[in-house]
Amino acid sequence: MSREADYDVKPGSSGPVVWAAIIGFTCVLLFFFQKILWLVVPVLLALILYYLLFPPMQWIIYRGASRAMAATWITLFFLGASMAVGFAMVPWITNHLADGHGVVTRYMQGGLQLLDRSLRGLESSWEMLSEARLAETVSARLTHGAGSVTEYLEPALMGVMAWTPSLLLAPFLTFFFLRDGGRFKRFLSNAVPNAFFERSLFLIHGVDQTLRAYFQGLIKLTVLDTLTLAAGLWLMNFPGAFLLGLICAVLAWIPYIGSILGGLLVVLVAATDFPGDVTMAYSAVALFVLVRLLDDFIYMPLTIGKSLHMHPLITVLMIFVGGAVAGVSGLMLVLPLLGVVMVVGETVGQIVTDDRLRARHRHARALHRAAVAKDLLPGS
Amino acid sequence: MVKIFGDSMTSPRMQQLAAVPLFAQLSRRELRIVDGLLHLRNYLPEEIIFDEGEEGQAFYIVLDGEVIIRRQGQGGVIAQMGTGAHFGDLALLDASPRSAQAVASKTSTLGVFFREDFLAMMDTHSRIASRIALQLARQMGQRLRDQRGVESLQHL
Repeated sequence: MSREADYDVKPGSSGPVVWAAIIGFTCVLLFFFQKILWLVVPVLLALILYYLLFPPMQWIIYRGASRAMAATWITLFFLGASMAVGFAMVPWITNHLADGHGVVTRYMQGGLQLLDRSLRGLESSWEMLSEARLAETVSARLTHGAGSVTEYLEPALMGVMAWTPSLLLAPFLTFFFLRDGGRFKRFLSNAVPNAFFERSLFLIHGVDQTLRAYFQGLIKLTVLDTLTLAAGLWLMNFPGAFLLGLICAVLAWIPYIGSILGGLLVVLVAATDFPGDVTMAYSAVALFVLVRLLDDFIYMPLTIGKSLHMHPLITVLMIFVGGAVAGVSGLMLVLPLLGVVMVVGETVGQIVTDDRLRARHRHARALHRAAVAKDLLPGS
Repeated sequence: MVKIFGDSMTSPRMQQLAAVPLFAQLSRRELRIVDGLLHLRNYLPEEIIFDEGEEGQAFYIVLDGEVIIRRQGQGGVIAQMGTGAHFGDLALLDASPRSAQAVASKTSTLGVFFREDFLAMMDTHSRIASRIALQLARQMGQRLRDQRGVESLQHL
């Protein structure tokens, strides 16, 4: 049986000061990251790809390949599969791009007509709304205020073109994360003094575990959302149900706003492809509400919820703070960033408040100073 | 050609690892994998490696130098660990508190094996991990037998 040491170490829960520092530091990082989005976005995508490809890479390593070889194989396989899918979709994309302006206009018109029909329906039920000419007012405002589709399409296309080189960094970064992840951890731990070394190993492991749990949870959540939405839309006879489900599931990576955008997209498709059937649009909204409930109460607790070990109130508040500090990018980044800062903050908090570790570090520095100055001392 | 297929066992680090009894059964290729997981740390004489009661996260291999294991604050030396010896291996089994303090008695270079890396190796390189675990179990058994021998001599 182990004997208790003479000193008393109390590694425990972090205090309010540490938590305030964690939240403050997360906000500062978000603000800083917003300024270097050209780098943050590819790194984020590379991290998602890394945690997606890590299990198959492990599978290859189980079968005797070295880590470098497994990383090369899995990256080549991923790039090959992506290119194959890309080439297979070229005819479809070319067709749609050729008529891109027409398609977008058609779906926007479909959405506006649905809105107009719904408002006129309300006007016929409520005399007050009819007197206010609600449908006409909204329609006029949307027509004049929204501008032409080209006005939005051109900047969007320019944005995609500008982001392409930066996004091409993602697979490149992923390969090096997969191949040299272990070396990077050793590189980080080498910079830590001996006294804090074991704790730091645990810290680096904790950060890796947190990010792994979050991003693998996010991937599982996306698969579950895609399957549920695709099944629902397919049952409702929606065209391209799987693709729509996938787009909406990926949009849901942006908390709150992403779900609304996904819902809006499906409603536009319903209004345009089923112009005479308003119930399709309402059914699509009902499906989205159902998936949202499934997400909040079943899928998220099973996937991402387990990863960050955060109180739901803090999660919701931090999403709003993230949005206020760094906009849409803040909404996406705030939770994984908070998870990492939380692990780092709690561990650093424990190290800084551990008098024994600090005393050992001072002792080691004194030994080092004495060793390097040994031959300089008088009489030595 | 010689460089590509040459024997990297000639590097000082690989020679140090090959001399460690714990890795005696590992092939050159397996040693390289272990080398990729080890952290190297340098300690000065009288520098503390870990304290008694501290939560153990890693086990240590003396690649060069000497380490003493002692009861904290009492000064009594329990064991002296020379080049090739290892200590803190109970940390591989669980995160239980260290049962004694480890201090470098000479300028030492230690290889550190993080528990989570070892546990991950049990999945990815189960052959290597099982060989190391078998050697560890043998040495723990030897330690128990030695301890029993000392106790039975004390009862005579």
